[in-house]
Amino acid sequence: MTGLFPSLAAIAGILLAASAAGFFAARALVPPGRRMERIAWGFLLGLLLLAGFVAVTLAVGGRPGWLAFAAAAVLAGAAAKAAGRPGSPERSTAAGKPERGGAGVALALRAAIAAGVLLYFLRALTEPMWAADFLAIWGWKGKVIFGSGGLPSWTWTIPDLGFTHPEYPAGLPLVDAGAAFLLGRWDDHALALLFPAVQAATLLLLAGWLERRGARRPVALAASAALALFEPLYRAFTTGMAEVPLSFFLLALGTSLADAVEEDPGGIRRLALAALGAAALKNEGLFAAVAAALVAAFWRGRPRGVRTRAALAAILPALAAAAAHRLRTGPLPLRDFRTGFLFEPGFAGRLALGLETIGREVVLPAGPLLAGLVLLFAAGRRSAPARALLALAALPLLAYALLPAFCVWGPDWLVRTAFARTASGLAPLAAAALALRLSPTFPASSADAAGRSGGSTGSAADPAA
Amino acid sequence: MRSRRLVALAGYLILLASLAAAIRPAELARRVRLVARDSAKDLAVRRLDGSSAAFDRRYFYFLESARRRLPAGARGIAVLAPAPTAAHRDLALYVFAPRPALVAPKEIPPGWVLAVEGDARPAGWREIAKVSGGALLERAR
Repeated sequence: MTGLFPSLAAIAGILLAASAAGFFAARALVPPGRRMERIAWGFLLGLLLLAGFVAVTLAVGGRPGWLAFAAAAVLAGAAAKAAGRPGSPERSTAAGKPERGGAGVALALRAAIAAGVLLYFLRALTEPMWAADFLAIWGWKGKVIFGSGGLPSWTWTIPDLGFTHPEYPAGLPLVDAGAAFLLGRWDDHALALLFPAVQAATLLLLAGWLERRGARRPVALAASAALALFEPLYRAFTTGMAEVPLSFFLLALGTSLADAVEEDPGGIRRLALAALGAAALKNEGLFAAVAAALVAAFWRGRPRGVRTRAALAAILPALAAAAAHRLRTGPLPLRDFRTGFLFEPGFAGRLALGLETIGREVVLPAGPLLAGLVLLFAAGRRSAPARALLALAALPLLAYALLPAFCVWGPDWLVRTAFARTASGLAPLAAAALALRLSPTFPASSADAAGRSGGSTGSAADPAA
Repeated sequence: MRSRRLVALAGYLILLASLAAAIRPAELARRVRLVARDSAKDLAVRRLDGSSAAFDRRYFYFLESARRRLPAGARGIAVLAPAPTAAHRDLALYVFAPRPALVAPKEIPPGWVLAVEGDARPAGWREIAKVSGGALLERAR
């Protein structure tokens, strides 16, 4: 028998080892001087390593373990070294520069961030992961991969197991299985540590990116604090499901998209990896990658070649991830949806029922929160990257609002079971966009500005926008 | 500029207040108590005490007991429970993984064992092990 805390310490060690390997490899993604972003991208690469080493080791008939993981880490490090560091930014970064005044505010906001992380840590780790979708989909697949050395074909050929959604990507189960292989057993309680760790990485990426983009530290911290305390995303129920990791990859996708289009060094590489990871996690990630490609293609004021490269960097890796899954399982229908509803007389009613249910059961209860967001939006100013991030959040949100009309179990069923949860995964993107819009509202004082030279690829306020 | 800042501040305070409203001290205290009570216990006991088994704790006890007595060669498990729901289906699937498990399937594939909660014993099946709250059965030859 092993109690929670020894297993928790072991999983923490595994996540640290994966992050350390990722941190080294992230030298090829993040220019020097961006410590917070490099830690976050290192964690992201660590997740990809955990999933990737299991997939590759099993594909060649091996048994995943520390040796295989070390080999994967060395290969990733060598690839990063061969790729070289991305060129230095044209201007020095703002991150890490001291800011005069506001120390009390910054301290309070840091305390709020710590409180948010601790709250989620407690919610996530109170008990073994338990949500229905963890038991029937994400955790079950991870347990099967760990226990049988892969996903056997019966997982997608037994018709009665359709509720396990074999058509969903296997990225999260592979990450879970990767950690379990390194631990040497399936511990669905200690594995929950992954989720607060993803939250922490999300907050680091958000604050680091915002500061580099010229947001004052209190603005970046305020955005991170609000996100850290965002319970609809960081709660016990979502622990074990793909929303929390996807929200991290969506933030990585959005921020790297803006960087790539504005030719920040390493932006294209980061965008490609974020798109790959997002599509490997959920079908919504593939959709977001397509949306990112569209946003890049229609970005105004940038050279066509740059926009095309960014669009391809978003779409090609995502398609590759989706194709890899399809090659293994063959074409599988989206079990919960039927496009034929579109051509039936009752479609308008289905659409109305879905939207009405969203309004009644999601929008109304979240009224105060949404009112706060509207005020924050109104107080900000337009900027091209903020607009891109908002578009990247709005397109999936629109899809989530329309999809219930195609649900075979009824539009209201899908709204009740999934809308709030999936929409909450867009919160990091929204936080980044709103904070970026607010940056010009809270400009640095002239004294601070002298010590802060702005973002590497343009300040938050973009007059061209 | 000043008015924009005031609007932003008001928006942020409303946002924080609505987020803070989701923090329920009683719930957090319950969580702390549960961790303190269960952290040293076996993983299965922690699941038994947790939310995934809350709908029917005796059912989880039955599943876990059946899992521990499964014959090594069992290719899959069909579970019969008195009034199965989606929660029964999901929990059985998860507990028996990596083996396939179905609750009340129309047909039971060859090589599968039957885990029956309660006293019912379907015809054509013979008991191979008693488990807590039920029995394991294999096809009678």
